[in-house]
Amino acid sequence: MANLVIDNVKKRYGTTEVLKGINIAIEAGEFLILVGPSGCGKSTLMNSIAGLEDVSEGRILIADNDVTYTSPKDRDIAMVFQSYALYPNMTVAQNISFGLEMRKVPKEEREVEVQRVAELLQISHLLNRKPAQLSGGQRQRVAMGRALARRPQLYLFDEPLSNLDAKLRVEMRTEIKKLHQKLGTTIVYVTHDQIEAMTLADRIAVMKDGEVQQLGTPQEIYDNPANLFVAGFMGSPAMNFIPAKVVSQDGNPMLELATNSTVTLPFPKPEALANHIGQTVLLGLRPEMITEPQPHKVGQDFVTTTDIKVEVTEPMGADTMIITRVNDAEINCRSNPAYPAAPGSVIEMMFDTSKAVVFDQASGQRLDI
Amino acid sequence: MSKASIGRQTTWVEKALRVALYTVLLIMAAVYLMPFLVMLLTSLKDVEEIRTGTLLSLPSTLDLSAWSKAWGEACTGNNCGGISPYFLNSFQIVIPAVLISTLLGAINGYVISLWKFRGSDLFFAALLVGCFIPFQVILLPMARTLGWLGIANTTTGLVFVHVVYGVAFTTLFFRNFYQAIPGELVKAARLDGAGFFTIFYRIILPLSTPIIVVTVIWQFTQIWNDFLFGVAFSGFDTQPVTVALNNLVNTSFGGKEYNVDMAAAIIAALPTLAVYVLAGKYFVRGLTAGAVKG
Repeated sequence: MANLVIDNVKKRYGTTEVLKGINIAIEAGEFLILVGPSGCGKSTLMNSIAGLEDVSEGRILIADNDVTYTSPKDRDIAMVFQSYALYPNMTVAQNISFGLEMRKVPKEEREVEVQRVAELLQISHLLNRKPAQLSGGQRQRVAMGRALARRPQLYLFDEPLSNLDAKLRVEMRTEIKKLHQKLGTTIVYVTHDQIEAMTLADRIAVMKDGEVQQLGTPQEIYDNPANLFVAGFMGSPAMNFIPAKVVSQDGNPMLELATNSTVTLPFPKPEALANHIGQTVLLGLRPEMITEPQPHKVGQDFVTTTDIKVEVTEPMGADTMIITRVNDAEINCRSNPAYPAAPGSVIEMMFDTSKAVVFDQASGQRLDI
Repeated sequence: MSKASIGRQTTWVEKALRVALYTVLLIMAAVYLMPFLVMLLTSLKDVEEIRTGTLLSLPSTLDLSAWSKAWGEACTGNNCGGISPYFLNSFQIVIPAVLISTLLGAINGYVISLWKFRGSDLFFAALLVGCFIPFQVILLPMARTLGWLGIANTTTGLVFVHVVYGVAFTTLFFRNFYQAIPGELVKAARLDGAGFFTIFYRIILPLSTPIIVVTVIWQFTQIWNDFLFGVAFSGFDTQPVTVALNNLVNTSFGGKEYNVDMAAAIIAALPTLAVYVLAGKYFVRGLTAGAVKG
C-alpha cells in the first residue's frame, strides 16, 4: 500500500499533447477512478503510472519514491487489463504465480500464495484450467488474482469490467468494492462508465482532452460539478440543461422558464445571478429534482409547481421518465410510475431548485461557485 | 409446411451438376498425378522395356535395380557414387538453414509486432522488399560476400545464403501471426517482471506452433528445392541433391537410363513430399490462423 503523486505530468506525441499537465495526489488505501470519454487521455495516464509509456514532462511518485524513469517491473505495481491478458499457454495457477516466479519467490511460497489468492477470489476449483476454458467472469477473477498474488504497492485497473455482460458487470463491481474494503489497497481504476465511477470510487478524476476537469468525491462531483462537461458526463439520465433568462422579481434574480405557461424559479445562490440579469444562463437540474407534486415538499423554499406538456414517457420500473420541453430544450423528469402522465396530456410537476446549478452558456463554466 | 417436413428433393439438374463437378475434379487430379505415375512406372522398368513399351504400360516385373543404382552407383559427372552423398549434403544445408531462419524470423516478427520502435514499420517494409528480389540479382554480390567471408564453396556458405534470403519470408510470416496477439499480453508480462527474452520464450513462443509449422514447411521446401544457389555457391563436395540430380541426368555413357533418372528424381523429391504429408494440414491451418482471432 502506498500513496501516489502525479505531479504536472505531460505527454506529447509529436506535436499533439495528450496529457496537458495532470496533478493528482491520492492517499494510501484510496480508490481513485479516472473517468472520461474515449480519447481523454485516461489510458495514457494509466500507462504512464505503470511505466509502459514514458512521460514527456513531470514526475510520478509511488510511496514517496520518484519512479518517473523506473522500469515497470521495479515500480511494484500490478495491473488488470480490459482484455485480461491472461497467458493462454499457462494454467490458472501458473498465470497467478508467474509474477512471483519472475521475482524469484521459492516454489513452496508461490504455491501458498496461489492458494490464498484462489480462496480469496473463489477460483480454487479452476487452478488447473487454461484461460480458454474459462468464462468471462472467471477470466476476470483470474486476472485480479494475478494482480493480488504479488501484493504490490499499487493496483491499476484498466477498464476491467468492459468486456463483461451487464449483469456480471454489476456483480463484479460489488466484488471489487468488497475486495478493496477488505484489503485496503491503493487502486487507480480507469473506466468510461460513470456509474462504475460513482459506485466504486473514493475520489473521481473526470478527464477530458488530456486535462483533469474535476477531482473530488463521487457526491461532490454529482452535486457540485465544476463545469458543464462534468455535469453532463456524470449521472444517468444526464442532468437537464435549460437555457433560462435571468429576470429580476422584487429585487431577486429569478430564472424564467416557459413550460406550459411561463414560470419563474428561485435560485439558492441569488448573488451568483445578480450580475446576469437580462442575460440567458444554462440552468442545470437533475431529473430527480423534477417530480410529480410531493405533499411533504409543498411550501419549501425552492420548490415550484407548474404545468408541463408530456411528450414521451419511459417507464423504468422503479421510476417513469417523463420527457417534456422547457425553453425549447428537451428535459427528463423522474416521476412515480403511479402518477398519471399520458403522452400529450398536460400535468402538474414540481421543480425543486435547491440543488440547481447554473453555467455560463458560452464557456460552460459554473457561475455559482 | 408438409413439403418442408418431408425434406428437400434433389432435382436431376442438381445431380447432373454434381456429376460434372466430380468429373472436372477427377480430370484435374489426373493431370497433376499423371507425371508422377509415369515417373514411378518408368523407374520400375528396365531400359529395354522403356524403349519398347509405351509411357503408361505397366512394368512386366518389379525391378528395383534402378533405385539402388540411383542411390548408390549412378555417375554424376566423374563421381560414380549415386546421389546418396548429395542427399546427405542437402540435409546438412537444409536443417541448419531452416532452424536459423525460422528462429530469426520469429524474433524479428516479435520485435516488429510487439516491441514497436520508431521506424519499425519502415524497417518491416524494407525487409519485405527482400521477398521480391529475384535470385539471379544477388548471385554476383553474394559470391563476392562469401569469398570475403571465407565461406565460399562450403556448406556454411550455402546455409548463410539461404538464411539471408529466407529471413524476409519468415519475418513476414511471424510478424503477421504476432499482429493478432494483443499487446496487453506483453504489457502484463512486463509488469510481472519478465524481460524481452523471457516473454518471448515463456509466453509468445508457446503460442506460435501453427506459424512455426508453416514457416518450417515453407523454408524446408524452398531450400531443399533450390537449384540456383546450390549450383552457384556449392563446392565439389557440398552440392545439394538438386544439383546432383541435374548432373546425373546430364551424364550418360551410351544409352540414356531413364529408369535411373526417374528413380533419382523421386528420391530427391521424397523429403518435401514427406513433410507435406506429415504436416500439410497444419500448413493450411497456420496460413489462415491469423485471419480469425480464436
